[in-house]
Amino acid sequence: MKLKIIIGGIVVIAGIVLGALNFLESNVEYTDFSTAERTNKKVQVKGEWMKDQPTNFDAEKVKFSFYMKDEANRVSKVVLDGAKPNNFELATSVVAKGKFANGEFHATDVLTKCPSKYEGTSETVKKSL
Amino acid sequence: MLVLGTVAANIVRFGFVAALAAALFYYRCARTSSPRLLGWARNSYHLATVALMASASVLLYLILNHQFQYKYVWEYSSTTLPLALLMSTFYAGQEGSFMLWALYTSVIGIVLMRYSSRRDYETEAMSVYSLILSFLMLMLVVKNPFTFIWDSFPSDLLKSGAIPGGITNVVVLDAAKGIWAQYPSEGRGLNPLLQNYWMVIHPQILFTGFSSMAVPYTLAVAALWKRDYNSWIRVATPWAVFGSMVLGTGIIMGGYWAYETLGWGGFWGWDPVENSSLIPWLLCVASIHTALNQRKSGAFVKTNIVLSLLTFIMALYSTFLTRSGVLGDTSVHSFVDPGMWVYWLLLAFIAVFSVIGFGIFFVRIKEMQKLPIKHSYFSREFALFLGAFTLSFVALFVAIGTSSPIITTILKGKASAVEIAYYINTNLPLGIVICLLSGLGQLLWWKHSNAGSFLKSILTPVALSLVVTALVFFMLGSADFRILLFTFCAAFSLFSNLKVGYGVFMGNPKFVGGSIAHIGIAIMCLGFVTSSHYDSKATLSLERGKPVETMGYRLTYLGYKELDSERYAFNVQVEHGNTKRVVAPIMRFNKEENSTIRNPDLINFVSRDFYVSPVTVEEASQSTDVPLRLVKGEPQQIKGLGVEFQGFDFADEQRAAMAEGKEFFINASLQIADGKTKRRLELKVKNSPSGAEFIPASYISSDGRTYEFTLRQMMPSQQDPSKSAVEINVKMPNDENVPKREETLVVEASIKPMINLVWAGTITLIVGFLLTILRRSGEARLNGDKWEGDKA
Repeated sequence: MKLKIIIGGIVVIAGIVLGALNFLESNVEYTDFSTAERTNKKVQVKGEWMKDQPTNFDAEKVKFSFYMKDEANRVSKVVLDGAKPNNFELATSVVAKGKFANGEFHATDVLTKCPSKYEGTSETVKKSL
Repeated sequence: MLVLGTVAANIVRFGFVAALAAALFYYRCARTSSPRLLGWARNSYHLATVALMASASVLLYLILNHQFQYKYVWEYSSTTLPLALLMSTFYAGQEGSFMLWALYTSVIGIVLMRYSSRRDYETEAMSVYSLILSFLMLMLVVKNPFTFIWDSFPSDLLKSGAIPGGITNVVVLDAAKGIWAQYPSEGRGLNPLLQNYWMVIHPQILFTGFSSMAVPYTLAVAALWKRDYNSWIRVATPWAVFGSMVLGTGIIMGGYWAYETLGWGGFWGWDPVENSSLIPWLLCVASIHTALNQRKSGAFVKTNIVLSLLTFIMALYSTFLTRSGVLGDTSVHSFVDPGMWVYWLLLAFIAVFSVIGFGIFFVRIKEMQKLPIKHSYFSREFALFLGAFTLSFVALFVAIGTSSPIITTILKGKASAVEIAYYINTNLPLGIVICLLSGLGQLLWWKHSNAGSFLKSILTPVALSLVVTALVFFMLGSADFRILLFTFCAAFSLFSNLKVGYGVFMGNPKFVGGSIAHIGIAIMCLGFVTSSHYDSKATLSLERGKPVETMGYRLTYLGYKELDSERYAFNVQVEHGNTKRVVAPIMRFNKEENSTIRNPDLINFVSRDFYVSPVTVEEASQSTDVPLRLVKGEPQQIKGLGVEFQGFDFADEQRAAMAEGKEFFINASLQIADGKTKRRLELKVKNSPSGAEFIPASYISSDGRTYEFTLRQMMPSQQDPSKSAVEINVKMPNDENVPKREETLVVEASIKPMINLVWAGTITLIVGFLLTILRRSGEARLNGDKWEGDKA
C-alpha cells in the first residue's frame, strides 16, 4: 500500500514537473524591441504597423518585411518568414514573435488583431443601407 | 416581421421558465413520487423543448427571408449565399450557436426522458438535466438573437420627422411621434473562411456531441441522489460512448476542415477552439475505461463519478475559455468580447454545476463502499485504471495550456499563449504510455495474469511492432527517440488489438467493439507520426510556364482562372512519375477589406498527400521597378547612376495657390550623377482638391537608356530639415540582359506521408464506438445486477 502511494506520488510529481517546465519554456515573454535586442531570446513584441513606411515581399526567399512601432515607441524593421499575414491591413495591432538580430526583428510568426473582423460597426451598417 | 422577433424572444423567455419549472417539478416529484407532479414535470419539459424549436424556426425563417431588421441576420448572412450556407448562418454567431447547443440539449433530453423512465432514473436525472437546459436558455434570454439592428446603431438608423422619398427599407416605430428607422438592404455575409460545405455539417455534429456531454454528469448526480452507486454505471455507459463517438467525429471533422480548406497545413493546430472540445472528450473516454472496471468488479465507484462530473464541468469551462473573451488576442481566432453578462453567466454556470455535482459527491462520499482491491498490478483492471489516469493527465495538460493566457495574466500580468511545442512535449510521453497500455490491457487478463501465458501472447505483437518501427526508421529515418518509441507503442497496440479482436470476433462478434476502437486509435497514431513528423515542405516561386522540381515532383504554374469577383483559382500542374494532375488552390482577395484568404488544394495518393498552399501572386513585370528611400544629402547607386535627394522645392507662387485652395505643385529635387555629368531632375507632385498625383519624370542616360522616376512619398522632417527624406520608384530601362519576369505564383508545397492512416483510423474508431454502443445499450436494457460474462 505504501509502495503504491510512493510510486503514484512520484509519477504525479514527475508529470507536474514535466508540465510546468514545458509551460514556462514555451510561454514566450512579451517585451519591447530594446529588451529583445539586449537579450537575444525569443520574445513577443506587440505594436503597431507603420503604414507610411515601405513593406516588401521577397518572393525568392519568401520573406515579408515591414516596419513596426512597439509600445515604447521604437520603430524597427520586422522580417517575417512567410507571406503577408491574413488581414494585415485591417489590424489595429500586431504581435510579432521571434528574435532580434542585426538591427532587425526576425519574426517566425505575426498575429494580427482585428476587432472589426466579425463585428459590424457603425461604418459598416451605413454602407449596407 | 417585427412582431415575429418580439414573439420569438418572448417564447425563449417562456421556455426558460418552463425548463426551470420542469427542474422544480421533477425535484418535488423525486421527493413525493406523485404521478400528478410527474405529468406536470414532463409537460413543462416538453413545453421548453417546443419553445426552443419554435424560436429556432423563427430565427431560421428570418434568415431565409433576409430580414435585416434583425442584427443577427444582418451580421452573419446576406442575400447572395446559397441555400445550405444561408441556413448555416443560423450558428455563425454566438447567439445562434448557443441556440443550437440548447436545441440539441433539449432534443437529447426527450430521448433521455424515455430512456431513464424505463430504468427508474427519470425524476432525479431529468431534474438535473432540466436545470442544465434552463441555464442554456437563460443564456439565450441574455444574449437574445432577435434584437433589432437600430437598437445596436441608434444614432445611425433611428430618425424622426418626415420620411424622405426614395428611401426604402423603412420601419415606422412610433407614428405619433414620427420616429422611424432605416435598416440595411444587404447583410454583411458569412465570414469567407466559413463559406464551405463543412460549415453545414461540422458544427451540427460537434454540438450534438457537446450537448451529450451533459448526460453522464446528469446520471452521476442522479445516482448519488438515489444512492445507487453500482447499477448507474450500466445506465450511463451507452451515453458516454455515444457522446465520445459523436464528439470525436466532430473533432476529427474539424481537423479535416482545417487541413483541407482552411490551409492550416495540418489537421491539428492545438488552437483553443479545437482544445475546448478535446478536453471533455478525453475525460469522457477515460470514464468509459474505468466504467468497464466498475461493471466487472464493483470497484472505482468514486473515480467514475468524478470523471463523469468533470466531463461536463470541463465542457463548461472550455466554453467559458472560448466564449467569454478571456483569451483575448492570443489566438488566431478572434474571440469577440460578448459582454460582461455572458462572462459572469458562464462563470455562474460552472460554479453552480460544480457545487451541485461535487457537493452531493462529498455528502455521500462516506456511504460509498470501498471494496478491497481484488486485482493485482498485473491485471486488465490495473491497465484500464492507468490508461484512464493517463488520459485524464492529457486532459489536464491541454486544459492548462489552453488556459495559459489566464495563468500568465495572474502570474506576470500579461496574457500570452503557449507554443505548440508545449502540447507536443507534454503529450508525447503520455501518448506513448496510452498506446502501450491500450495494447497491454487487451492482452492482460482480468484480476490477475499468468506471466507465462502473457509473455507468450505478447511475443507476436512485439515482434511485428519491431518490424514496423524498423521500417519507419529505415524508410523515413529519425533521430528522435521519442518518435520511434511512439511508433513502436502504436504498432504494438495495433497488433495486440488485432490479435485479441480476432479471438473475440471468433467467440462473439458483438463484443469486438473495444478492440476495433483501439485499432482505430492505433492506426490514427501511426498516421500522426508519418504525416506530421515525416512531412517535407518547400516554398517555391513558380514563374508561369516554367517547371520547378521539388521533392521528386515537377510543378508548373499554368495561370489563373477567375471564379467570381473575388476568388481566383491558380492552376498548378503536378507531375510525379507517370501521373500528371492539376491542383487549383484558391485565393480570395477582398478589395473592401484589403484582405487575402487562401485555400489550399491537394492530391490524395494512397501513400501520401501532396499539399499545395498558395502564398501570394506577383504580377508580370517587363522592366524592373526599384524602390529607393533617399535621405537628404546621402547619394545611392543604381546601375551606375548616382541618385541624391537635395531637398523639397515649394515656390512662393505655389504656396499662394495652396492658400487660395487652387491646384499647386511641390517638387522634390534629385541630382543624378551619370559618369562625370551631373543633372538635376525635379519630381513633381500635383496637389488638387481631388488628391495628390505623383507625376513621373524621365531621365535619358548618356548611353541612351530611359529611366523613369516617380515620387512615392515625401517625408519632410520638421525638427531637422537636413534629415528630410523621400521614397521614390525607379523604373529601369528595358534591358535585353535582364530577363523579363512572368507572373509568379508563390506556393508552399508539402508531402504528408500516409496521412490516409489518420482518416482510416477515424472511421475504424467510429465503427468500434458504434459496436460498443449496441452492446452496452443492450446490457442497459437488461435489468438486474448480474456481473457480465468473463472474456472481452
